[in-house]
Amino acid sequence: MRGRAKDFLAAVISGREIAPGVTEIELELPDGTKPCPGQFLHISAGEAFLRRPFSIAGFDGSTGRARIMVRDAGRGSGMISGLRAGDSVRVLAPLGNSFPIDEITRRLEGSASVWLVSGGVGVAPLLFAANEIGKKNFGINSFIGFRDAQSVIGVGELEEWGRVSVSVGGLVTDAAVSAMRESPPGLVLACGPAPMLRALKEICSDRGIPGYVSVEERMGCGIGACLACARGVRDAGGWSYKRVCRDGPVFEISEVIL
Amino acid sequence: MRTELCGIEMKNPFIAASGTFGFGREFDELYDISCWGAISVKGLTLHPRAGNPPARIAETASGMLNSIGLQNPGVGAFIRRELPWLADRGIPVIANVAGSSEEEYADAVRKLSDSPVSMIELNISCPNVKRGGIHFGTSPEAAREITARVRACCKRPLMVKLSPNVRDIAEIARAAEDAGADAISLINTITGMAIDTESRRPVLANITGGLSGPAIKPVALRMVWQAASAVKIPVVGMGGIMTGDDAAQFMIAGASAVMIGSANISDPMAGPRIIGEFERRVRELGVSDPRDLVGSLRTDGPPDDGQI
Repeated sequence: MRGRAKDFLAAVISGREIAPGVTEIELELPDGTKPCPGQFLHISAGEAFLRRPFSIAGFDGSTGRARIMVRDAGRGSGMISGLRAGDSVRVLAPLGNSFPIDEITRRLEGSASVWLVSGGVGVAPLLFAANEIGKKNFGINSFIGFRDAQSVIGVGELEEWGRVSVSVGGLVTDAAVSAMRESPPGLVLACGPAPMLRALKEICSDRGIPGYVSVEERMGCGIGACLACARGVRDAGGWSYKRVCRDGPVFEISEVIL
Repeated sequence: MRTELCGIEMKNPFIAASGTFGFGREFDELYDISCWGAISVKGLTLHPRAGNPPARIAETASGMLNSIGLQNPGVGAFIRRELPWLADRGIPVIANVAGSSEEEYADAVRKLSDSPVSMIELNISCPNVKRGGIHFGTSPEAAREITARVRACCKRPLMVKLSPNVRDIAEIARAAEDAGADAISLINTITGMAIDTESRRPVLANITGGLSGPAIKPVALRMVWQAASAVKIPVVGMGGIMTGDDAAQFMIAGASAVMIGSANISDPMAGPRIIGEFERRVRELGVSDPRDLVGSLRTDGPPDDGQI
């Protein structure tokens, strides 16, 4: 499958701050590149030795432009969040597996809606997934959490596909649990901080709800060779380390060890 | 650009360093990996190893720390599932071998000696596993013993990969040579650590890890020069090579071939890029054969401009 991912110099189409410390960057991907929801871009950050991975928040097939949301969390992400129109940056993409959209819509057939659960910029890959699932006319309820009111992003986009519950300062999983009392989801997709994912995993496990999570780990090469971004995942032999960059970043919520 | 190492023909003196290149498959999706002179595969142990818990990597100034912990499928699975494909690529395959006991090293090497690998690289310098690895590489006696033990059952050229975490690298290099090593490679990573100030915790789950990248290049150059001056067998140099010019410096210091490691992690296209840069650099230097660079370090006085 050579040519799946490419290393290229990407033109930055735009960069704008969408919340304090969070920048949305739009980049041009090479012709023929067609990323899927859940996949990520591995972006070179100037003098920093390692690249930084960012989930794709949206992709426009007609222009070949992909969007990411960058939280300035240090040297590397700080440099990347400073990118603006006219800049260019080295990118390796698209990488990783993806939310299995066909499998997800098959599992939803004739059943309840899909719920999206996120914390902070974890909403990014879910925006891309919502767009693909929503286009197929499945109901989408979103539960998105942020640490304060200024940090809220993505609401408008998600409202196109269904109801959106925004949690500010509290636990987004609390909002999801109370809504489950009325009608539980057919499936959940999630991305966010580890404590949120752990809580959600327990909630889903208790109620027998299937789902997929996009997880994060300190990453090296991004293509699966260096084995740095390990994550324990249950399998037939008990559990084993999988590569977040290659086998993930999307894992079944019942299998991934959080 | 052609060269040879312990009788193994290589199209150029560039070897992908163990642990940064997996078994080659992922990089072959980005470019044709037969551009390398040889490939040293991810460190293998007799039995599969799960590796260390995450986090396994941390960025540092001009480099990185890693503590993968020798995650690998074991020698048997490597020979069955990975080697046939890799051997088919028409480039020499170097099997990097680690272990926790002399028996484990010997058994692994015995199995690999009956497979189509071109060379064994004895890893006695892994800083990230509790038992074994570096333990065999930090005293001349231990290095001599494990090298001799493996030499006795190894039917391929044997290269010993040395640790920089030692008092006297020349002493260890000589010990490996005396015990029958056909070549030595150095340096493996330098033990280091990183701390997250907010949480006051180590960044790596294993607390310490191995430092690599341009940060260690001056140390690596010094050790390659010292080791090459101490032994007659070929030396394979590595440590922070990011450009063709860096590679030329290692050869001038005494390396017959070089390995590219962390650069592959920082830049997935580093291999073909550095090889191309080196070809151009060699031409600029007016050298007809890169082998003429090897050990050509001049220590006979100040640079030609006469300034002191």
